[in-house]
Amino acid sequence: MSGVDVAERPRPEPSDLTRPFWEAAREHRLVRQVCDACGRGFFTPQIACPRCLSTAWTWTPSTGRGTVYSATVVHRAPYPGFTSPYHVVMVDLEEDWTMLSNLVGTGEAPVAIGSAVEVDWLELEDEITLPVFRPADEGSGR
Amino acid sequence: MSFRGRLADVAIVGVGSTQQARRLGTTSLHASLEAAKAALADAGLTKDDVDGIAARWPGPGGTVFQPGSADWAGLLGIHVDWIGDSYPQGVPAVLDAAAAISAGLCETVLITGGQAGVMEAEAGKVAKYTRPANEFVEPYGSFTSTQFALVAQRYLHRFPEARGAMAEVAATIRNTGSANPEAVMHGRGPYTAQDVLDAPKVVDPFTRLDLCLANEGAAALVLTTVERARACRAAPVVVLGGGMEWMRQQYVDPPRYEEVRTVGAKAARRAFSMCGLGPEDVDAFQLYDVNSYEVLRQFEAVGLCGEGEAGELVRERGIGVDGGLPTCTDGGVLSFSHIGWGAPTLKIIEGVRQIRGEAGHRQVEGAEVVLAAGAGAGAQYHNVVLLGPDR
Repeated sequence: MSGVDVAERPRPEPSDLTRPFWEAAREHRLVRQVCDACGRGFFTPQIACPRCLSTAWTWTPSTGRGTVYSATVVHRAPYPGFTSPYHVVMVDLEEDWTMLSNLVGTGEAPVAIGSAVEVDWLELEDEITLPVFRPADEGSGR
Repeated sequence: MSFRGRLADVAIVGVGSTQQARRLGTTSLHASLEAAKAALADAGLTKDDVDGIAARWPGPGGTVFQPGSADWAGLLGIHVDWIGDSYPQGVPAVLDAAAAISAGLCETVLITGGQAGVMEAEAGKVAKYTRPANEFVEPYGSFTSTQFALVAQRYLHRFPEARGAMAEVAATIRNTGSANPEAVMHGRGPYTAQDVLDAPKVVDPFTRLDLCLANEGAAALVLTTVERARACRAAPVVVLGGGMEWMRQQYVDPPRYEEVRTVGAKAARRAFSMCGLGPEDVDAFQLYDVNSYEVLRQFEAVGLCGEGEAGELVRERGIGVDGGLPTCTDGGVLSFSHIGWGAPTLKIIEGVRQIRGEAGHRQVEGAEVVLAAGAGAGAQYHNVVLLGPDR
């Protein structure tokens, strides 16, 4: 797969707050926090809702479907763990939240802003699975 | 209650820097001390005149205790009345120091910092301070230029013709630096916009020539009251106004163009309102040129033109030393030098030299009001200071 050099890739180091995100990813579920009080979804993880400051929130599954908000191709990797060129994207998920990730399963050409994508899973090792995205299959219904 | 004009009771009286180079055969601490001594000599002051420090502590030595600037009091053998570990240096350090001086907490502040002896270990990687160590960033190979690129790509999606203007910006600032004997990239070039577009790609839309340097050097400033500054060696350069803006921690949540495109606009309005000036009154722009897109964005944010209009603005008026909008007149971080968190101080030093009329071949004729800026959209913070003569 383009851009993947699994052995050298920097590993996330989960905290108590973020560990549920990575545990879900290991089971191929993409989750983000949703506020129990006001319903706001938020990511990256926080101890309280950035809108109403409620500390009552729930890790909630996402469909993993979204569109590319912005995209770039890295031609010169900044550190080991990546084979250039590779794609870095910001994905707007269906549930109105955003994450930074990689786009895989596509060529070296830049991907268009607004393209439909869906989550895919990059297994770094037994403990860590990285959520990445690939172009959405037309009518896959996933 | 109005605080207007209070910063203008403070002046920059000393500037100093080391040689700027790919590698300096010394340490960050030695380089920062050398720059500090140069700034004090430039002001005609001694260390015993200093009663405030904003410097942090690069090590070696020191302790885990904060503020790190207290370690400088030990090194300099002085007792100080105020300390600020401002981040980064440049504009925030100047504004923190000016606020402390104008509030009467101290009288004369030394600002110093930079990096040396650190880049060798970075060979083959981007500089360490450009690699965000965050679990939602680092595993995806997103470094600082990538975060700026994600903003620039949205801008170019809306205004594709701006790519040519970005290339012209990079070529012009690099050519300004090429002519500056003190610049790291002295003698490199001249470049055309086409050279920028044809350079090796780094991260779309940026090629190597669109992006700033990472090298070694240190830079220092001395600030004091205008009253005291009038008795110093060089003409005082007054802090006319300033402003700072932070949206969130840099390089964690990725930047959304619609949110970050105007970061710094409020800071600029605050700075201008303090002195009753506007963007058309600025004679030289020491913008924070970490990449070619940022220069366009900052012209839009400071209020010289509307969204998407900066490409036309720089083409019509010119950003060379003899252009209508002289910009990064030392060659900027694209060509002069980028020394990590001390780099923004270089913007202030160039502003002071322009206002003093000491800039030699790159002097902007009649330069009085200089805007200096730090950080940008990818970093999700930005700050602005306006400098001018004492009159």
